[in-house]
Amino acid sequence: MKAVIRNTTVADRLLFIFLIAASVAGIFISREAMPKGSDVIIEIGGKTAYTFALDTDRTFSVPGPLGVTIVEIKGRKVRVKEAHCHNRLCEKQGWVARGAIVCLPNRVVISVGGKADNTPKGIDAITG
Amino acid sequence: MQLQDKYRIAVLSAYALALHGIETLVPTPIPWMRLGLANIVTLVALVLYGFRTAMTVTLIRVILASLFTGTFLGPSFVLSFGGGVTSTAAMGLTFLVFRDMFGPVGLSLVGAFFHNAAQLTLAYFLFIQRIEAMFVIGPVILLIGTLTGVANGAVSGLLIKNLLKKEGAKIQNDNEDAEPAQ
Repeated sequence: MKAVIRNTTVADRLLFIFLIAASVAGIFISREAMPKGSDVIIEIGGKTAYTFALDTDRTFSVPGPLGVTIVEIKGRKVRVKEAHCHNRLCEKQGWVARGAIVCLPNRVVISVGGKADNTPKGIDAITG
Repeated sequence: MQLQDKYRIAVLSAYALALHGIETLVPTPIPWMRLGLANIVTLVALVLYGFRTAMTVTLIRVILASLFTGTFLGPSFVLSFGGGVTSTAAMGLTFLVFRDMFGPVGLSLVGAFFHNAAQLTLAYFLFIQRIEAMFVIGPVILLIGTLTGVANGAVSGLLIKNLLKKEGAKIQNDNEDAEPAQ
Protein backbone atom coordinates (compact mmCIF):
# COMPACT_ATOMS: atom_id res chain seq x y z
CA MET A 1 0.00 0.00 0.00
CA LYS A 2 2.78 2.38 0.93
CA ALA A 3 4.62 1.55 -2.26
CA VAL A 4 1.49 2.34 -4.22
CA ILE A 5 1.06 5.72 -2.57
CA ARG A 6 4.72 6.55 -3.08
CA ASN A 7 4.31 5.61 -6.72
CA THR A 8 1.79 8.37 -7.40
CA THR A 9 2.62 11.89 -8.49
CA VAL A 10 0.99 15.08 -7.23
CA ALA A 11 -1.05 15.29 -10.44
CA ASP A 12 -2.30 11.73 -9.87
CA ARG A 13 -3.57 12.61 -6.44
CA LEU A 14 -5.16 15.87 -7.57
CA LEU A 15 -6.90 14.07 -10.43
CA PHE A 16 -8.17 11.41 -8.05
CA ILE A 17 -9.54 13.94 -5.59
CA PHE A 18 -11.10 15.96 -8.41
CA LEU A 19 -12.83 12.93 -9.95
CA ILE A 20 -14.15 11.70 -6.61
CA ALA A 21 -15.44 15.17 -5.72
CA ALA A 22 -16.99 15.66 -9.16
CA SER A 23 -18.79 12.32 -9.10
CA VAL A 24 -20.07 12.70 -5.56
CA ALA A 25 -21.25 16.23 -6.35
CA GLY A 26 -22.81 14.87 -9.53
CA ILE A 27 -24.74 12.25 -7.62
CA PHE A 28 -26.20 14.89 -5.32
CA ILE A 29 -26.92 17.35 -8.14
CA SER A 30 -28.65 14.72 -10.24
CA ARG A 31 -30.74 13.68 -7.26
CA GLU A 32 -31.86 17.28 -6.81
CA ALA A 33 -32.58 17.68 -10.51
CA MET A 34 -34.78 14.59 -10.61
CA PRO A 35 -38.29 15.39 -11.77
CA LYS A 36 -40.35 15.77 -8.67
CA GLY A 37 -43.59 13.98 -8.08
CA SER A 38 -46.73 15.90 -8.83
CA ASP A 39 -49.26 13.93 -6.81
CA VAL A 40 -49.72 13.06 -3.17
CA ILE A 41 -51.22 9.62 -2.80
CA ILE A 42 -52.57 8.57 0.55
CA GLU A 43 -53.14 4.92 1.25
CA ILE A 44 -55.01 3.60 4.24
CA GLY A 45 -54.55 -0.05 5.02
CA GLY A 46 -52.95 -0.67 1.64
CA LYS A 47 -55.74 0.89 -0.43
CA THR A 48 -55.44 4.23 -2.17
CA ALA A 49 -57.80 6.53 -0.35
CA TYR A 50 -57.02 10.01 -1.65
CA THR A 51 -55.00 11.62 -4.39
CA PHE A 52 -54.15 15.31 -4.13
CA ALA A 53 -52.16 17.59 -6.39
CA LEU A 54 -48.88 18.72 -4.86
CA ASP A 55 -49.29 22.20 -6.31
CA THR A 56 -52.19 23.32 -4.16
CA ASP A 57 -51.59 23.99 -0.48
CA ARG A 58 -54.07 22.35 1.83
CA THR A 59 -54.48 20.68 5.20
CA PHE A 60 -56.68 17.69 5.70
CA SER A 61 -57.23 14.85 8.11
CA VAL A 62 -56.98 11.16 7.40
CA PRO A 63 -58.84 8.73 9.63
CA GLY A 64 -57.00 5.76 11.09
CA PRO A 65 -57.26 3.20 13.88
CA LEU A 66 -55.53 5.53 16.35
CA GLY A 67 -57.44 8.65 15.43
CA VAL A 68 -57.07 11.23 12.71
CA THR A 69 -53.73 12.10 11.12
CA ILE A 70 -53.47 15.68 9.96
CA VAL A 71 -51.54 16.03 6.73
CA GLU A 72 -50.38 19.34 5.36
CA ILE A 73 -49.35 20.15 1.79
CA LYS A 74 -47.49 23.41 1.36
CA GLY A 75 -45.01 24.67 -1.21
CA ARG A 76 -44.82 21.37 -3.10
CA LYS A 77 -43.98 19.50 0.10
CA VAL A 78 -45.93 17.25 2.41
CA ARG A 79 -45.71 16.63 6.12
CA VAL A 80 -47.67 15.00 8.84
CA LYS A 81 -48.67 17.87 11.06
CA GLU A 82 -50.26 15.86 13.79
CA ALA A 83 -50.61 12.19 14.50
CA HIS A 84 -51.89 10.24 17.43
CA CYS A 85 -49.55 7.30 17.45
CA HIS A 86 -46.98 6.53 20.15
CA ASN A 87 -43.61 7.59 18.83
CA ARG A 88 -44.84 9.94 16.06
CA LEU A 89 -42.08 9.07 13.67
CA CYS A 90 -44.17 10.39 10.81
CA GLU A 91 -44.28 13.81 12.43
CA LYS A 92 -40.55 13.79 13.02
CA GLN A 93 -39.87 13.04 9.37
CA GLY A 94 -40.91 16.59 8.56
CA TRP A 95 -41.37 18.01 5.08
CA VAL A 96 -41.02 15.58 2.21
CA ALA A 97 -40.90 16.49 -1.49
CA ARG A 98 -40.42 12.98 -2.84
CA GLY A 99 -40.51 9.51 -1.44
CA ALA A 100 -42.98 8.56 1.24
CA ILE A 101 -44.03 9.04 4.85
CA VAL A 102 -45.22 5.88 6.50
CA CYS A 103 -47.25 5.82 9.67
CA LEU A 104 -47.37 2.18 10.57
CA PRO A 105 -49.57 2.28 13.69
CA ASN A 106 -52.20 4.22 11.78
CA ARG A 107 -51.68 2.14 8.65
CA VAL A 108 -51.33 5.31 6.59
CA VAL A 109 -48.86 5.66 3.75
CA ILE A 110 -48.36 9.07 2.19
CA SER A 111 -46.33 8.88 -0.99
CA VAL A 112 -45.36 11.55 -3.47
CA GLY A 113 -45.57 10.09 -6.93
CA GLY A 114 -45.37 11.45 -10.44
CA LYS A 115 -48.33 11.52 -12.76
CA ALA A 116 -46.11 10.80 -15.73
CA ASP A 117 -45.54 7.14 -16.42
CA ASN A 118 -42.32 6.03 -14.87
CA THR A 119 -41.89 3.04 -17.12
CA PRO A 120 -38.70 3.43 -19.13
CA LYS A 121 -39.08 2.80 -22.80
CA GLY A 122 -36.68 0.90 -25.01
CA ILE A 123 -34.18 -1.68 -23.99
CA ASP A 124 -34.20 -2.98 -20.44
CA ALA A 125 -30.83 -4.66 -20.40
CA ILE A 126 -28.13 -5.84 -22.69
CA THR A 127 -26.23 -8.95 -21.90
CA GLY A 128 -22.86 -9.68 -23.34
CA MET B 1 7.19 -3.73 -37.55
CA GLN B 2 9.93 -5.92 -36.20
CA LEU B 3 9.51 -9.54 -35.26
CA GLN B 4 10.14 -8.71 -31.61
CA ASP B 5 7.34 -6.15 -31.66
CA LYS B 6 4.96 -8.71 -33.13
CA TYR B 7 5.93 -11.22 -30.46
CA ARG B 8 5.46 -8.64 -27.74
CA ILE B 9 2.04 -7.60 -29.07
CA ALA B 10 0.96 -11.23 -29.25
CA VAL B 11 1.97 -11.91 -25.65
CA LEU B 12 0.37 -8.73 -24.34
CA SER B 13 -2.84 -9.41 -26.28
CA ALA B 14 -2.98 -12.89 -24.79
CA TYR B 15 -2.64 -11.46 -21.29
CA ALA B 16 -5.29 -8.84 -22.01
CA LEU B 17 -7.68 -11.44 -23.42
CA ALA B 18 -7.18 -13.68 -20.41
CA LEU B 19 -7.91 -10.82 -18.00
CA HIS B 20 -10.89 -9.76 -20.10
CA GLY B 21 -12.21 -13.32 -19.89
CA ILE B 22 -11.57 -13.67 -16.17
CA GLU B 23 -13.33 -10.46 -15.28
CA THR B 24 -16.56 -11.63 -16.93
CA LEU B 25 -16.53 -14.47 -14.39
CA VAL B 26 -15.99 -12.19 -11.39
CA PRO B 27 -19.33 -11.36 -9.78
CA THR B 28 -19.97 -7.64 -9.36
CA PRO B 29 -22.69 -5.93 -7.35
CA ILE B 30 -24.11 -4.32 -10.49
CA PRO B 31 -24.55 -6.57 -13.53
CA TRP B 32 -23.00 -4.31 -16.17
CA MET B 33 -20.17 -3.17 -13.93
CA ARG B 34 -16.75 -4.33 -15.07
CA LEU B 35 -13.46 -4.03 -13.28
CA GLY B 36 -11.53 -3.12 -16.41
CA LEU B 37 -8.67 -5.46 -15.59
CA ALA B 38 -7.62 -5.59 -19.25
CA ASN B 39 -6.76 -1.94 -18.94
CA ILE B 40 -3.79 -2.98 -16.79
CA VAL B 41 -2.22 -4.59 -19.85
CA THR B 42 -3.03 -1.59 -22.05
CA LEU B 43 -1.41 0.70 -19.50
CA VAL B 44 1.73 -1.41 -19.16
CA ALA B 45 1.99 -1.60 -22.96
CA LEU B 46 1.59 2.17 -23.22
CA VAL B 47 4.20 3.05 -20.62
CA LEU B 48 6.78 0.45 -21.59
CA TYR B 49 6.33 0.05 -25.34
CA GLY B 50 4.48 3.13 -26.58
CA PHE B 51 1.13 4.17 -27.92
CA ARG B 52 1.04 2.03 -31.07
CA THR B 53 1.58 -1.19 -29.14
CA ALA B 54 -1.09 -0.22 -26.62
CA MET B 55 -3.65 0.59 -29.32
CA THR B 56 -2.91 -2.59 -31.26
CA VAL B 57 -3.26 -4.69 -28.13
CA THR B 58 -6.56 -3.00 -27.27
CA LEU B 59 -7.98 -3.52 -30.76
CA ILE B 60 -6.94 -7.17 -30.81
CA ARG B 61 -8.39 -7.71 -27.36
CA VAL B 62 -11.75 -6.08 -28.05
CA ILE B 63 -12.27 -7.78 -31.40
CA LEU B 64 -11.10 -11.23 -30.34
CA ALA B 65 -12.99 -11.15 -27.04
CA SER B 66 -16.20 -10.30 -28.88
CA LEU B 67 -15.57 -13.10 -31.39
CA PHE B 68 -15.06 -15.57 -28.55
CA THR B 69 -18.19 -14.54 -26.67
CA GLY B 70 -20.27 -14.23 -29.84
CA THR B 71 -21.07 -10.55 -29.50
CA PHE B 72 -19.06 -9.32 -32.48
CA LEU B 73 -20.74 -6.25 -34.03
CA GLY B 74 -23.50 -6.49 -31.43
CA PRO B 75 -24.47 -3.71 -29.02
CA SER B 76 -22.04 -4.71 -26.32
CA PHE B 77 -19.27 -4.88 -28.91
CA VAL B 78 -19.99 -1.31 -29.98
CA LEU B 79 -19.78 -0.16 -26.35
CA SER B 80 -16.66 -2.18 -25.66
CA PHE B 81 -14.94 -1.02 -28.85
CA GLY B 82 -15.81 2.64 -28.35
CA GLY B 83 -14.77 2.59 -24.72
CA GLY B 84 -11.51 0.74 -25.35
CA VAL B 85 -10.36 2.88 -28.27
CA THR B 86 -11.33 6.16 -26.61
CA SER B 87 -9.67 5.34 -23.31
CA THR B 88 -6.47 4.12 -24.99
CA ALA B 89 -6.36 7.24 -27.16
CA ALA B 90 -6.93 9.47 -24.13
CA MET B 91 -4.26 7.72 -22.08
CA GLY B 92 -1.83 7.85 -25.00
CA LEU B 93 -2.43 11.56 -25.51
CA THR B 94 -2.05 12.28 -21.79
CA PHE B 95 1.15 10.27 -21.70
CA LEU B 96 2.55 12.13 -24.71
CA VAL B 97 1.55 15.63 -23.62
CA PHE B 98 2.21 15.47 -19.86
CA ARG B 99 5.02 12.99 -19.97
CA ASP B 100 6.13 12.83 -16.32
CA MET B 101 3.26 14.66 -14.72
CA PHE B 102 1.00 11.62 -14.41
CA GLY B 103 2.06 8.24 -13.10
CA PRO B 104 0.27 4.99 -13.90
CA VAL B 105 -2.51 5.80 -11.42
CA GLY B 106 -3.24 9.13 -13.10
CA LEU B 107 -3.18 7.57 -16.56
CA SER B 108 -5.49 4.83 -15.39
CA LEU B 109 -7.90 7.44 -14.02
CA VAL B 110 -7.87 9.29 -17.33
CA GLY B 111 -8.47 6.00 -19.12
CA ALA B 112 -11.32 5.00 -16.81
CA PHE B 113 -12.97 8.39 -17.17
CA PHE B 114 -12.84 8.41 -20.96
CA HIS B 115 -13.90 4.78 -21.16
CA ASN B 116 -17.04 5.55 -19.17
CA ALA B 117 -17.66 8.85 -20.95
CA ALA B 118 -17.44 7.15 -24.35
CA GLN B 119 -19.68 4.29 -23.27
CA LEU B 120 -22.28 6.63 -21.79
CA THR B 121 -22.29 8.76 -24.94
CA LEU B 122 -22.62 5.71 -27.17
CA ALA B 123 -25.31 4.22 -24.96
CA TYR B 124 -27.21 7.49 -25.05
CA PHE B 125 -27.13 7.86 -28.82
CA LEU B 126 -27.64 4.21 -29.68
CA PHE B 127 -29.88 2.74 -27.01
CA ILE B 128 -31.35 4.80 -24.24
CA GLN B 129 -31.94 8.39 -25.39
CA ARG B 130 -33.23 9.56 -22.04
CA ILE B 131 -31.08 12.36 -20.82
CA GLU B 132 -32.43 12.19 -17.23
CA ALA B 133 -31.35 8.57 -17.00
CA MET B 134 -27.87 9.60 -18.13
CA PHE B 135 -27.67 12.34 -15.53
CA VAL B 136 -28.66 9.95 -12.80
CA ILE B 137 -26.42 7.09 -13.83
CA GLY B 138 -23.45 9.14 -15.07
CA PRO B 139 -22.02 10.27 -11.70
CA VAL B 140 -22.46 6.80 -10.20
CA ILE B 141 -20.54 5.22 -13.08
CA LEU B 142 -17.91 7.96 -12.80
CA LEU B 143 -17.46 7.21 -9.09
CA ILE B 144 -17.17 3.45 -9.59
CA GLY B 145 -14.84 4.02 -12.53
CA THR B 146 -12.59 6.24 -10.44
CA LEU B 147 -12.30 3.60 -7.73
CA THR B 148 -11.58 0.71 -10.11
CA GLY B 149 -9.30 3.02 -12.08
CA VAL B 150 -7.15 3.67 -9.02
CA ALA B 151 -6.94 -0.05 -8.28
CA ASN B 152 -5.94 -0.87 -11.86
CA GLY B 153 -3.48 1.99 -11.94
CA ALA B 154 -1.84 0.83 -8.72
CA VAL B 155 -1.45 -2.71 -10.05
CA SER B 156 -0.07 -1.39 -13.35
CA GLY B 157 2.35 0.83 -11.47
CA LEU B 158 3.75 -2.08 -9.47
CA LEU B 159 3.91 -4.22 -12.62
CA ILE B 160 5.75 -1.54 -14.59
CA LYS B 161 8.19 -0.98 -11.75
CA ASN B 162 8.99 -4.67 -11.46
CA LEU B 163 9.27 -5.16 -15.20
CA LEU B 164 11.64 -2.22 -15.46
CA LYS B 165 13.70 -3.59 -12.56
CA LYS B 166 13.91 -6.96 -14.28
CA GLU B 167 14.84 -5.35 -17.56
CA GLY B 168 17.44 -3.24 -15.78
CA ALA B 169 18.89 -6.35 -14.14
CA LYS B 170 18.99 -8.05 -17.51
CA ILE B 171 20.82 -5.13 -19.08
CA GLN B 172 23.26 -5.13 -16.18
CA ASN B 173 23.83 -8.85 -16.62
CA ASP B 174 24.44 -8.30 -20.29
CA ASN B 175 27.04 -5.67 -19.44
CA GLU B 176 28.71 -7.98 -16.91
CA ASP B 177 28.82 -10.69 -19.52
CA ALA B 178 30.32 -8.25 -21.95
CA GLU B 179 32.96 -6.97 -19.57
CA PRO B 180 35.30 -9.94 -19.44
CA ALA B 181 35.47 -9.97 -23.19
CA GLN B 182 36.90 -6.47 -23.30
